[in-house]
Amino acid sequence: MPLDTSTYALSLLRLDGRRWNELRRIHAQISTQAAADGSAYLEMGNTKVICTVSGPSEGRRGQGQGGEGGKARIEVEVNLAGFAGVERKKRARGDRRIAELQHTLTQAYTSTLLTHLYPHSTILITLHILSLDGSLLAATLNAATLALIDAGIPMSNYLVACTAGSTSFEESDNADPLLDLNGQEEQELPFVTVGILGDGDKVSVLVMESRVQMSRLETMLVVAVDGCKRVREILDGVVREHGRNMVEGAVG
Amino acid sequence: MTSLKRSYVTDSSAPNLSSKVYVRSTRSGKVQKIVRELYLRQDIPCSSKLCSKCLSRAPTDYNNRVLPFVLSERPEGTKSAPQGHYVIPDTNAFISAMDLFEVESAFHDVIVLQTVLEEVKNRSLPLYHRLISLTKSEDKRFYVFFNEFRSETYVNREHGESINDRNDRAVRMAVKWYGEHLQEAVRMRSKSAKAPMIVMLSDDRDNLRKAKAEKLVAYSLRDYVSGLENATLLLDMITEGQEARQGKPEKSEMFYPEYYSLSKMLTGVKAGTMHQGIFNVSPYNYLEGSVHVSAFERSLLILGRENSNRAVSGDVIVVEILSKDQWKTPSTKIIEEETVNKDDNPDEEDGEAVITERERRALQEEVKRVHSKNVEGRSQPTARVVGVIKRNWRQYVGHIDRGSVKTSAKQSRAQQTVFLVPMDKRIPKIRVRTRQAGELLGKRVLVTIDSWDRDSRYPVGHFVRSLGELESKEAETEALLLEYDVQYRPFPKTVLDCLPSEGHDWKVPASVDDPGWKGRRDLRDLLVCSIDPPGCVDIDDALHARPLPNGNFEVGVHIADVSHFVKPNNAMDKEASMRGTTVYLVDKRIDMLPMLLGTDLCSLKPYVERYAFSVLWEITADADIVKSEFTKSVIRSREAFAYEQAQIRIDDKSQQDDLTKGIRTLMMLSKKLNKKRMDAGALNLASPEVRVEAESETSDPADVKVKKMLDTNSLVEEFMLLANISVARKIYEAFPQTALLRRHAAPPKTNFEELANQLQVKRGLELRTDSSKAVADSLDTCVDPSEPFFNTLIRIMATRCMMSAEYFCSGTQAYSEFRHYGLASEIYTHFTSPIRRYADLEAHRQLAAAIEYEQLDPSLHSKAKLEGICKNINVRHRNAQMAGRASVEYYVGQALKGRVCDEEGFVMKIFSNGFVVFVPKFGIESAIKLRDLAVPEPESTLDYENYILTISGSKNAKVELFQKVKVRISDVQEESTGKRKIKLGLL
Repeated sequence: MPLDTSTYALSLLRLDGRRWNELRRIHAQISTQAAADGSAYLEMGNTKVICTVSGPSEGRRGQGQGGEGGKARIEVEVNLAGFAGVERKKRARGDRRIAELQHTLTQAYTSTLLTHLYPHSTILITLHILSLDGSLLAATLNAATLALIDAGIPMSNYLVACTAGSTSFEESDNADPLLDLNGQEEQELPFVTVGILGDGDKVSVLVMESRVQMSRLETMLVVAVDGCKRVREILDGVVREHGRNMVEGAVG
Repeated sequence: MTSLKRSYVTDSSAPNLSSKVYVRSTRSGKVQKIVRELYLRQDIPCSSKLCSKCLSRAPTDYNNRVLPFVLSERPEGTKSAPQGHYVIPDTNAFISAMDLFEVESAFHDVIVLQTVLEEVKNRSLPLYHRLISLTKSEDKRFYVFFNEFRSETYVNREHGESINDRNDRAVRMAVKWYGEHLQEAVRMRSKSAKAPMIVMLSDDRDNLRKAKAEKLVAYSLRDYVSGLENATLLLDMITEGQEARQGKPEKSEMFYPEYYSLSKMLTGVKAGTMHQGIFNVSPYNYLEGSVHVSAFERSLLILGRENSNRAVSGDVIVVEILSKDQWKTPSTKIIEEETVNKDDNPDEEDGEAVITERERRALQEEVKRVHSKNVEGRSQPTARVVGVIKRNWRQYVGHIDRGSVKTSAKQSRAQQTVFLVPMDKRIPKIRVRTRQAGELLGKRVLVTIDSWDRDSRYPVGHFVRSLGELESKEAETEALLLEYDVQYRPFPKTVLDCLPSEGHDWKVPASVDDPGWKGRRDLRDLLVCSIDPPGCVDIDDALHARPLPNGNFEVGVHIADVSHFVKPNNAMDKEASMRGTTVYLVDKRIDMLPMLLGTDLCSLKPYVERYAFSVLWEITADADIVKSEFTKSVIRSREAFAYEQAQIRIDDKSQQDDLTKGIRTLMMLSKKLNKKRMDAGALNLASPEVRVEAESETSDPADVKVKKMLDTNSLVEEFMLLANISVARKIYEAFPQTALLRRHAAPPKTNFEELANQLQVKRGLELRTDSSKAVADSLDTCVDPSEPFFNTLIRIMATRCMMSAEYFCSGTQAYSEFRHYGLASEIYTHFTSPIRRYADLEAHRQLAAAIEYEQLDPSLHSKAKLEGICKNINVRHRNAQMAGRASVEYYVGQALKGRVCDEEGFVMKIFSNGFVVFVPKFGIESAIKLRDLAVPEPESTLDYENYILTISGSKNAKVELFQKVKVRISDVQEESTGKRKIKLGLL
């Protein structure tokens, strides 16, 4: 039997050897799918996501042709590959969790993107989850942000996200917060997903589905926001690197 | 198009990233492939106080604290390493000799590798927990080194390498690294100093050989321990290792059939051709076991040594049903191992057969009887054990069989094999190798079972420690506590640190503005009193009643507010949750909470103010509840009565003060409540309860009295039941998924079959069992006008047919299953004794959250955690009861020591070679064997249909079930053990 999260107290090391404040390895690329208007590939540890963006374009017929009130309409499609989890599973179309994920993403980007610039049009964000190992919402948000940047859709700042958890077995006064949970930690510990806009402290997405003591929530939020800022730097680096390549490519 | 491929070379984080891929199979038999990331790093400390480099970059927690370093600067030396040494044990060392590591005098500065910890967890969860608690002990200095995360010690599994070989290699790698690392650390301090030696311990020969080839210091456990001080004592604690067993020439003869493979059993169980259950051995006949499986209404019988195939009572086993012509009725014979196999030789010899000639004869008689009689409808399916899923071996207390000791000279240090006869009759003799046989004779000894191989008739175990002289009070009490797994060590410092710093001077704050008063109601002016057994110091509950202007009554039950002092998840709470309950022995109480709380700060002592948790009802004169209310409060008890005292006060007409009137009101209401409960079908069961009176000075037992039931007993009981039910409703309403409740399942009909049949045949009485009401009513009719005790006897026997009540978490059962059968209540919990039961404490917390007094701790929100707690307290509760009973039994024995008296007894059970008699006066129950009645053993015929045993030959008598008999009670000293035992003889 592999060890579980209770061994954290023995050594202050987590199940995969990280300390409490360390992110998993993040790897990201943009413009991976030439056929799409914008695309990105992102790995946070073993969670791997491909995102493509098409649009802004004229909405599909019969769907009210784009957004109302002179704003673009955002649609999100999430596709969880059957091989993504531990067990191979075919998910039904109406999977509740997926529907909820789509809804959260739609909400997040409707308020982040400058949708008023594209009245009567639709922006379609499609996400393919290739591998699943915790922090799914955070990874999809980060991937979508990159893909939207690649598509050139204006937004006020990066929307980046990260999870934070808490070692629940400890006495309430010295529970450590944990940054960026992997799949096993997510199953055993309470956690919150936080998305912030830019490098300030403005929280635009906050999802928590587990119970946790009020007193621990604040440290979890602080740690998550701090993690988001680090994620933003990494994503920013990816975007700038890509930009540099494009410029050099165009010149050379 | 951009490629998704990426080269690892440019990725700066790549060198410290690895992944772990492993395959596991799930419970349903599916195989899963799990991929995990591993972040390899170089800042995992060695935790030696010698090393300053590691200290500077050790991991910190959120508050920037570093874990203190564990391994001592000056570890103990050995002959070969005078500069001191650290020990790194391999997995098999922990598995085979955990007791050894727990010894206080040796094994300090031990490094537990992550690889080893994982393997231990894989092999045995209990051992894993013991190991974890060792790492937390400050003076043992055990350190868990996460070698799999340190890049220097991480080992990749090579192609074709087995996982075991890989882990062994990882252990050696870590040993090597530690050696080099410490060398370096010490050299930095001073050039001349020598670093502590790193010693690897393993019982795996191959690993030892490889380690030596790599120039590491490696010993087998035995070799290592031989080099320590007091080696002889420690050597006994080592398991007969694989090493020794491999050394023996292969034996040709195998006594027991081989177990099936795990996958074969699992498929079998799934397909319904095999069954899984817990193996139980009959207390009267060690050759007869039974297992209850869901597919059969009746338990399956497992007869004989070969069929039970090395299963020990308590193991989870898989059985195969035998063909129908081998089905049998349960045994009607008393067979005790001690008498049948008295002369076995403990040394394994080739002539040994699985079934000795005597055993075979004993069983054959059984078969004859079965064939000669028409046993239709009576026979039970029989089965044989084909495998063991989980061993539930624990440590066993027993004594050394005198007959098995070759030289009993105390000085002799020769190793010899002896038999240990466990206290628990259902456990077979255990073969133990020891060098101190002479010393251990006549002592209570603790041993564990290590293994039971096919070529050995008895399980093989090793010595753990000696408890002291047989029959000495200390040894016997400790034996009891160990046998029932009661935690009896004094509370550790961490627990005592959680107590209020004021100690005994703690008082309810005088100022009502104090935070302690927040949300509390001031009930100090109520006339509250407590009624408890005489001499009770941990007073959990107090009561009051007063008339209301509208003609109704206000009744209050006030319970000690333990949850105010014991906060969730601190060390005290953890200790309490582990202990689960206070255990009451005749002369000793093993507390769940430290004395300061239990007998002072929480205890609702008279004349002082105390925090309480109150349940207040408005009750009509007909005992109907109008409304109920829960609140934290402050009370001042006016008087602490003993049951008898309260009874006298009630009966004394001259007492007309308000307090007495209150008690009279309570008495009046309780009688009505009781009537209602009985009408609803509550059972009035009985168990033999006696009280041992001790001489006040020596506390030696002097006399045995049957406990008296007074009206005041039932007064308190009624209101406690009422409070429990009210609280159960409230917390279930607030937390439908996670309320901690107590249920008592309805017993399956088959449980009563035997008793119903016996009553029908012997007395023409009918026992209806379709509902608890029917049972209660028909039990009331079971009377024998000439014998008042008959009814109690039947109630005792009926109680044994019941299921035991259990704690559970409300989300795990459907509402209809919540029912408490015995109390005929839809819903029930325990709330009224938080000082002595952990369940009540949890109920207090839930109720406090339900009335929004405080936030609920997350552990009480989690179904999984609560289930864990329930499981533990159920076991603890049962063990505490059994320990209490065993203690009474022991003291009854002591009280009767040297006396011979004639008493009345009742026949409870009939065997073909004996019968069981219950003596109400002393609450003892004992088998009378025919062999003991007269010499030579009288002939007997058993009329099983009519439960009559006719004895003829050297003594003539006829014994019937339920018959009243005169017995002579005496105590005898057993030859083989020197142990005193109560003996009954028929007059």
